Amino acid sequence: MGKQVDIKLLESIVGKDNVSNNPAIRYVYGTDASVHQSMPDVVVQPRTIEHVQEIMRYANAELIPVIPRGAGSGMSGHTVPIDGGIILDMKRMNRILEIRPEDMYCRVEPGVVDDDLNRALKPYGMFYPPSPASSRIATIGGEIGNNASGIRSVKYGATRDYVLGMKLVLANGYLVNLGATTRVEAAGYQIHRLIVGSEGTLGIIVEATMKFIPLPKLRCLGMATFDRIEYAGDAIADIITTGAEPSMLELMDHIAIKAVNTTLNMGLPDVEAIVLFEADGKVKEAVDYEMQTMKSICEKHHGEVKAMSYDAQERTRIYAGRKKLFAALSRYKEGLACTALADDMAVPYSKMAECAKKIHEVAEKYGVIMTAYGHCGAGVMHTKILMDPTKKEQWEAAKHAVEEIYNYVHSVGGITSGEHGIAISKAPSWKKARKDLLPVMRTIKRALDPNNILNPHKLMDAPEDWLTATPLRYWVKA
Amino acid sequence: MDIQYLKAWEAELNTCIRCAYCFEGCPVFKQLGWEVDSARGKAVLTYGLLTGELEPSDYVVRKIYECSFCKDCTERCSANVAIPDILAAARADLVSAGFVYDEHRELLDKIKQTGNIFGKELTPPIREGETPILLGCRFLERSEDAQRYLEILEKIGIKPKVFDEICCGMPFGVLGYKDELIHHQQEFRKRLPADEFICLCTTCIFFIKKSYPELNPKYVIEVIRERLPNVNVKKLGLKVTYHDPCNLARGLGMVKEPRDILRMIGVEVVELPTKGKEAECCGGGGGLLVTNLELAEKIAERRLNEAIALGVDMLVTLCPTCELNLGNIAKRGDKIEVKNLLDLVWQALK
Repeated sequence: MGKQVDIKLLESIVGKDNVSNNPAIRYVYGTDASVHQSMPDVVVQPRTIEHVQEIMRYANAELIPVIPRGAGSGMSGHTVPIDGGIILDMKRMNRILEIRPEDMYCRVEPGVVDDDLNRALKPYGMFYPPSPASSRIATIGGEIGNNASGIRSVKYGATRDYVLGMKLVLANGYLVNLGATTRVEAAGYQIHRLIVGSEGTLGIIVEATMKFIPLPKLRCLGMATFDRIEYAGDAIADIITTGAEPSMLELMDHIAIKAVNTTLNMGLPDVEAIVLFEADGKVKEAVDYEMQTMKSICEKHHGEVKAMSYDAQERTRIYAGRKKLFAALSRYKEGLACTALADDMAVPYSKMAECAKKIHEVAEKYGVIMTAYGHCGAGVMHTKILMDPTKKEQWEAAKHAVEEIYNYVHSVGGITSGEHGIAISKAPSWKKARKDLLPVMRTIKRALDPNNILNPHKLMDAPEDWLTATPLRYWVKA
Repeated sequence: MDIQYLKAWEAELNTCIRCAYCFEGCPVFKQLGWEVDSARGKAVLTYGLLTGELEPSDYVVRKIYECSFCKDCTERCSANVAIPDILAAARADLVSAGFVYDEHRELLDKIKQTGNIFGKELTPPIREGETPILLGCRFLERSEDAQRYLEILEKIGIKPKVFDEICCGMPFGVLGYKDELIHHQQEFRKRLPADEFICLCTTCIFFIKKSYPELNPKYVIEVIRERLPNVNVKKLGLKVTYHDPCNLARGLGMVKEPRDILRMIGVEVVELPTKGKEAECCGGGGGLLVTNLELAEKIAERRLNEAIALGVDMLVTLCPTCELNLGNIAKRGDKIEVKNLLDLVWQALK
């Protein structure tokens, strides 16, 4: 813990209205979409790069932790300040500074919301593709910090593939321009790429240069149902390995299906698995070819294709259940809450179905409910643990379930996190699997942040037990 | 603080996954910009009060009351977490703990003394017809408008029965005076001539449908839409924009009906950037007009500016509170007129 934060000094930097140490504000900023909770000492809303620089100079001199925060929608505890300190709420730095359609890039402040950027790009016939499901509120800064990806990453890649450069304020307040505005750069360390996914531990992103691409003229979305999840897994692996080019390839298991049917009255077919498959492009014949290929593969694996449409409204209808799944899982059963644990592992395509079955098996063993869904075309399998969060024994069960699932994932060559990041709750499993990497990462961290003030106790420095790393944000009763 | 009402919402608060999707449309968050001002922020605050991790303070109370109950958060939430209901429960616990705003107390005392929110002796335009009509406080006070709206009903073949009504009780519920609400509801029920009636006010109809499940009211717009094709109407040839009231669009799902009526009377609707169930709030609900008028007006100004940017002469709505809040801002700028849709219907039937 650093020294007591000088509120007056922070007010002199950013103005009185942009600083708060009110207990209610600190309490709210002490949580995100993860299971963790820990209050900051103060929340600051900088408006300019100079504000950020001055705050960092002060915090570095006084050894005060600084945690940058976008929408606070992270599921692993990225912005939960274990040691208190300063939360830098970057949402007020939200200007789109420049859109250059002729050069296919834009410059944005970190607080720009993903959907707002895409709305601004649309008139140019362009889009920024790696949008996560939370694109309506997720900020570009947060997405870079977490290397976010989403439903179309199977075709278009993740955030890291779109970051050309950035302005970064280092721990000591030094402002550095990283990367370029051109598509290629061969000039030393690609430090901007290192910052992508660094979870706020290496610097504060104060501006980003992002590339964008033309919007596809056509999109076609299909839905196939499967009586057994193994068939769905086989179909997904087959679609990828036969060279089809889906722009979306999503899996939903029977728990996910029940959740959206119960909450949203979606009327999805009562089957063991659903696969959503989409193709996009400029020419209808090409899109048709992709769709027919994927349809045939689904049918070959005993799938029944229930819908296929180019119509925007119909596509929205087909996708509606998947879009709202995360929150809908909270309504799966009265008294159970949807907790963000073991939520985004990635496994080889050939292990997709096996992974889903393993998740269900582990859930049953430990008396919790776990779903299996996700961007399987990109190898990402999402789960959520549905449990009674007020019961201590459920948390112990969840801890064992998480550990066992990750042991399986690592045993088949999978990874801990495909898109939600490590932060606190996934750190124990990740650290266990990537022991060789940790000293290297710590060396980089020390080089850029010698006083360890930037989002400390995350990633490689996170506590060994996520369950006791911070108080839980749920009211757990004896 | 003794927690009585919030206890019932513990499971609902655990249902909230804190995804922050409610940031997108929250009118208060858009104005004030701190997460504590968002629906999620308020859910976290109520959780803190429930668990005892957060002490109630004047600041917390202010934040709990700085919500227009627009229900945009619930609409955008896949799990449909009922934030306004949770806030109403929190307000009730805060009131029980002695956190009482003088302005709220004054408003509720007016209702108790006179039966309406204005604290005036208002005489309803009594009619001895067949179908009971509930005007609602705001239209009761606007007696000339109420007369015209009753004429609309007569012209479409309804014989209105106007009675000595009192406030539906919404302010008691929304401001957290649950015990007083129960007593008031009994009095409201006594005055009603029948369980089936037509309601002129969007807020009343929403509150009655939610809080008096035994009653079977119809909203005036449903009746007009059903009967308007059977009467001669003048096509008005106007171009307006329509602002969806929260209680009507998100609360009762009535999005198509007003637009159908406008089409029937020859009014072209130029849509606002957000409409229907995603329409932005005017800022007038949830007691915000009483609790924080400045904030309510800032929200209204944002909405009105969207309408002005459309280049239309008139913003039409149905809720008398939206009409009041947006209308007050409009009068200061003199760039757009705010009218009730019922006024256009009356004009078309004249």
